[in-house]
Amino acid sequence: MIVCVAVVGHQNNPLYIQSFTEAEDALKLHHIVHCSLDVIDERVNNPSKSGTTMNEAFLGLLYPALNYKVYGYLTNTKVKFIMVTSDLDVRDTDVRSFFRKFHAAYVDAVSNPFHVPGKKITSRTFSESVTNIVSSYSFN
Amino acid sequence: MANYLAQFQTVKNSCDRVVAAVEDVSDLWPTVKGLFEEHQPLKRALLTNNRTRNPVLVHNLPVEFILTTDARLRSRSPQEQFLFWFREPYATLLLVTCEDLDEFKNILKPRLKLIVQNDEREWFIVFVSKAHPSNDQATKSFKKVYAKLEVDFSSKKRERCCKLDIHGPNANFWEDLELKITECIRNTLDRRVLFYEDEIRKLTEQRFMPIWNFCNFFILKESLAFIFEMAHLHEDALREYDELELCYLETVNMPGKQREFGGFDSEDDKATLLKPGSKPLTQIVQDDSFREFDFRQYLFACQSRLLFKLNRPSEVSSRGYSFVISFAKALTLHESVLPFCLREVWVINACLALLDATSSHNHDGVVAPDIEKEFYRLQGDLYSLARVKFMRLGYLIGYGTDIEKSPLNSACLSMLPWPKPAVWPSLPPDASSEVLEKEKTILQATSRTKHFGIQRKPLPLEPSVLLRVANRRRASLSTGNIPEIFDGRPGFTEGSGLEASPRAPPMSRTNSSPGNFESPLDRPMRLAEIFVAAEHALRLTISDHDLLKALSSTQDFEHKYLNLTKGAAENYHRSWWKRHGVVLDGEIAAVCFKHGKYDLAANSYEKVCALYAGERWQDLLAEVLPNLAECQKNLNDHAGYMSSCVRLLSLDKGLFSPKERQAFQIEVVNLAHSEMENPVPLDVSSLITFSGSTGPPLQLCDGDPGTLPVTVWSGFPDDITLDSLSLTLVATNNTDEGGQALKSSAATVLKPGRNTITFALPPQKPGSYVLGVVTGQIGRLRFRSHSFSKGRPADTDDFMSYEKPTRPILKVSKPRALVDLASAVSSALLINEAQWIGIIVHPINYSLKGAILHIDTGPGLKIEDSYGIEMERYVETDCDAGTSKAEVSVEDSPVSPKQDSEVLNLCDGKIVFSEWASNVSSIMWVPVRALSEKLARGSSSVTPLKQDILEGMRTVALKLEFGVHHNQIFERTVAAHFTDPFDVTTRVVNKCNDGTMVMQVMLHSLVKANLIVLDAWLDLQEGFVHGKRDGRPTSTFFPLVVSPGSRAAVVFSISLDKTMSSGKDLQLPESILNIKYEINGDRTAGAHKPVDADHSGSDSERRALVFKSAIVLQRPVLDPCLTVGFLPLPSDGLRVGKLITMQWRVERLKELKGSEAVEHDEVLYEVNANSENWMIAGRKRGHVSLSEEKGSRVVISILCVPLVAGYVRPPQLSLPNVEEENVRSNPPGPHLVCVLPPLLSSSYCVPVK
Repeated sequence: MIVCVAVVGHQNNPLYIQSFTEAEDALKLHHIVHCSLDVIDERVNNPSKSGTTMNEAFLGLLYPALNYKVYGYLTNTKVKFIMVTSDLDVRDTDVRSFFRKFHAAYVDAVSNPFHVPGKKITSRTFSESVTNIVSSYSFN
Repeated sequence: MANYLAQFQTVKNSCDRVVAAVEDVSDLWPTVKGLFEEHQPLKRALLTNNRTRNPVLVHNLPVEFILTTDARLRSRSPQEQFLFWFREPYATLLLVTCEDLDEFKNILKPRLKLIVQNDEREWFIVFVSKAHPSNDQATKSFKKVYAKLEVDFSSKKRERCCKLDIHGPNANFWEDLELKITECIRNTLDRRVLFYEDEIRKLTEQRFMPIWNFCNFFILKESLAFIFEMAHLHEDALREYDELELCYLETVNMPGKQREFGGFDSEDDKATLLKPGSKPLTQIVQDDSFREFDFRQYLFACQSRLLFKLNRPSEVSSRGYSFVISFAKALTLHESVLPFCLREVWVINACLALLDATSSHNHDGVVAPDIEKEFYRLQGDLYSLARVKFMRLGYLIGYGTDIEKSPLNSACLSMLPWPKPAVWPSLPPDASSEVLEKEKTILQATSRTKHFGIQRKPLPLEPSVLLRVANRRRASLSTGNIPEIFDGRPGFTEGSGLEASPRAPPMSRTNSSPGNFESPLDRPMRLAEIFVAAEHALRLTISDHDLLKALSSTQDFEHKYLNLTKGAAENYHRSWWKRHGVVLDGEIAAVCFKHGKYDLAANSYEKVCALYAGERWQDLLAEVLPNLAECQKNLNDHAGYMSSCVRLLSLDKGLFSPKERQAFQIEVVNLAHSEMENPVPLDVSSLITFSGSTGPPLQLCDGDPGTLPVTVWSGFPDDITLDSLSLTLVATNNTDEGGQALKSSAATVLKPGRNTITFALPPQKPGSYVLGVVTGQIGRLRFRSHSFSKGRPADTDDFMSYEKPTRPILKVSKPRALVDLASAVSSALLINEAQWIGIIVHPINYSLKGAILHIDTGPGLKIEDSYGIEMERYVETDCDAGTSKAEVSVEDSPVSPKQDSEVLNLCDGKIVFSEWASNVSSIMWVPVRALSEKLARGSSSVTPLKQDILEGMRTVALKLEFGVHHNQIFERTVAAHFTDPFDVTTRVVNKCNDGTMVMQVMLHSLVKANLIVLDAWLDLQEGFVHGKRDGRPTSTFFPLVVSPGSRAAVVFSISLDKTMSSGKDLQLPESILNIKYEINGDRTAGAHKPVDADHSGSDSERRALVFKSAIVLQRPVLDPCLTVGFLPLPSDGLRVGKLITMQWRVERLKELKGSEAVEHDEVLYEVNANSENWMIAGRKRGHVSLSEEKGSRVVISILCVPLVAGYVRPPQLSLPNVEEENVRSNPPGPHLVCVLPPLLSSSYCVPVK
């Protein structure tokens, strides 16, 4: 299952972070998301090494960790989407489509004229739509 | 073939280099062996890569020379040779010598032919010449034999001979030899590789047949790899191993065949992934294949060995990391059968082994920076992986209390599943004392309360409750009971098992069987028991002493934990992954903190906080910052501590409870008021923000003070008292100058949220100003804030909160006229009479509230103190432009203000303005009197009046002080013109026959008022008498009204006094014209009734004014003695700039009788001319001789230049020593001459073509 999704601004500041675990351990997910920025930074700074062309927003698997997986997605405004899942057997296409939906929801949220770009997203509608997207994806 | 496995291994281990066989035909080897071995290894060998057939240059290829007679080569059976072909010689050297040609032909040659007829061998002949260079004969014969040898054995295609001179220089020989050996090796290698590949292909084709045997395939494949490795073609060897691994993974994962995994041997927990020879292959062989556990490690070891030879330690790291991960997965699959926690132990050992090997092979700066960074990242990964597994082991044996419950550790551990042994290890029978001890430590472990009394639920370190997992996996306990064990104990389901354990006796209401209580095997284990059981099980699993020691006590555990953490942090810092490094620093800091090494801890915590704060990860920051604050407090770092408190306060409000936030504030305030030695500066930008008031900026005039309201937002949870508060303003046009500080009133209390504070604003320079910095003091704390809020509380989310607002808060306009003082009336007033002088005070968009006007009259003018100063509203009227510009019309004023006129009194030369006059133009009437002693003089055509404009001019110096603090001063000097009412001109209009003359006195009104002449009379001078009775004009004409600017004339008849009563002293030197008049004018227009007249009751009593003017009457020339005639001027006229001679003729008409003339034959003359019109050259004054005879004449001429064109009065000649009555002039009166303008001069003109 997806345990956490996050939107990180182009200055690496968290814009939205939502965990889907029941325990009160959101902080560790904050940590995972924050540290995964290292990987995104590395990929963005060394596009040749990562192999993937930067034309694609989907960054793929960021962490080959033992017990969870972190996927990244980089919009053309340098806003990062990060998803942490505890499923170890995930197909890239599923994650891609997840991120596409998530991106659409994000675009809707920031298109709100009352949203200040660069500020945390506090929209409840966005939160709801994210929850819906997340619940529709259980990768197994 | 699999039977050969053991032999294969020994053979492989025994040979490590390429072999060259030496066929010692002429028993030379003992002599040259030393030389040959000296020239080892081959410096450059050009071999070929087997796949792409590209040439590969191998350096330093070692070659072993073995005599063919050697036992190692002789004893081999053909079968063996075929199997282990890689150890067979790659080249055969035929070592020969021969001095005699016949011997060569008859013996050596046939023998050699016999040897080389076996085509399979790559051979060449080394001919050794034993001839000494001095022995020419011998040298020659050796040469001959060698030549013959070459003819016989070398072909065009291939040179097979080389010659070694034992006693001579051999530089070429060794190169030659190297080439020849290389050629042989290359050919042999190619042949053998082709053969092996062929075999392998055949075997691969049979892959899916039942007879297929992996061991056979392995032997072939590894032989090939070994051949490459011997030839230093590591790249090729590595590829073979890679293929072998792929093939193995395919076979091992093939369904249907259940194979033993391995991992049960005593030292299997020691990862052998870098030691290929750690376990003989024969031990791990199983049926037709190998045990996965060992074989995969073996393959990886071979690969890494080659990679190290290729000098690619970073690739070992990266392959190693993936290998560890994938191998750990394999271990997980077999976890249930493997020893307890073998996976964890193996991963730790594998990571450490990899780290050890790769770091010793890595040399900084050899590879590209990005590869190096990647390498360090992988090292960091390996360290963290080992760290995580180590923590897991530590937790399992009860060191969980020593593990910081940080987000990092929680993320690592809480998502990592518990080990899943088939049966959870059970408590050894004699462990009760250990259990007791563990329980004691569990009881003693109190979760450290955070500073400031912050209470947070600790982050979990376990994926699920250990107690439950362990008990469920126990064989003796039925799983059905387990969930019920925890009923009614919510602490278990919510949080850590550690917390709950102290109050967790193994009681269970639901365990119905009382026997469960007695038998320790059947009742659920307690946490301490689980720990002890796990520890015992681990001791069985772990064979590595270091690891065992690291887990033996808390101190050792912590030591190892710190080492791993430091290793990870250091490596991450050298890679791209800075965040990982910094976060791990935080973990190190936590350990330092626990041991009271606050300075180290503070350093690391600061880095972590800076990382989180820089990227605004406030939730994470809120976790670390209290720790930093506590360190700083313990270090007595007041500034740092307060700064941390302020940072805590400025975090999102939701992150701390109000109580905690209050605690932060109390800390700050207490510390600020405590006995700190030095004032502590502190930036509170994130907590106290400020903004100007909304709306347009405050507008001030230059030099004006003001008050500036500023909104200050306080982020403190409670009211806070500031000892002082000041604000700097920064001029937008002038950035060099630091802003001026505005101080607020002494102590300010800031409420939480919005406060409005008013600052007194001293006069500022012109320009617009923005808010600069707010500084202030709380006790010994000096704080400053740069942060501007845009009309709402500090938004900590806003990165740009430090940006300067562009909106100015204050505008000070450039100096401009704020008020104007002007004279209301421009026309002349009456001199010597009390007159109103009007001063218009015109404020220009500026209030004159409380203004003070200083009035200082100049010489010749005094203020009539007895009358008040009238002040009234002034309305400018546009109508009648050209006439009176200013006119007071109170009645017409559209709004009738409450008060718009009053009488003010002058005290000390000052007037204070009234309230009503502050914003409207007003006019002030000041009663003044211009004093002049001079008597007015009339003029006639003979004595023209010289009007002196300055004569009637008087000045009033005005100084207006206004503005809030009378800071604005306006000074102006107003001029007023005073004049007599009339200008008097006289002329004699007629001379009657009876000697009376009619004298016309023209009165020209000089004032803008009606003058009413009531009476006029003449007081005549000596020599004249009135023609009629009293010298008054006919009275019926009076009163005569003279309008402004008009003229009137009065005619008097006078006659010459024939009696010439010279004895009378009463006679006046000049005649006086007296005019009694009244004036009827408006003070707004000019001259008017004198002030005192206004105030003196009724009309009948009003005082008539008298104007006196002196008139000069000239008696005719009665006794002419001399005559002065102005000689005519040249006919071409006068022209400006042209010299001209003026001439006068003086003629004596009769002898002068007067006694006063001393020199009778000389006449004093003087030429008077207006210097503006004439330039005179020559003597203006002098004596000319004129004889006393009657009719004598003289001409006085003078050179002069006219300066202006027009009709001008020419220079006049006068004779000062002669009475006027004795001189007759011609022409008799003043006259004019015409002066033409100058001719056009072309001297400065440029001709135009």
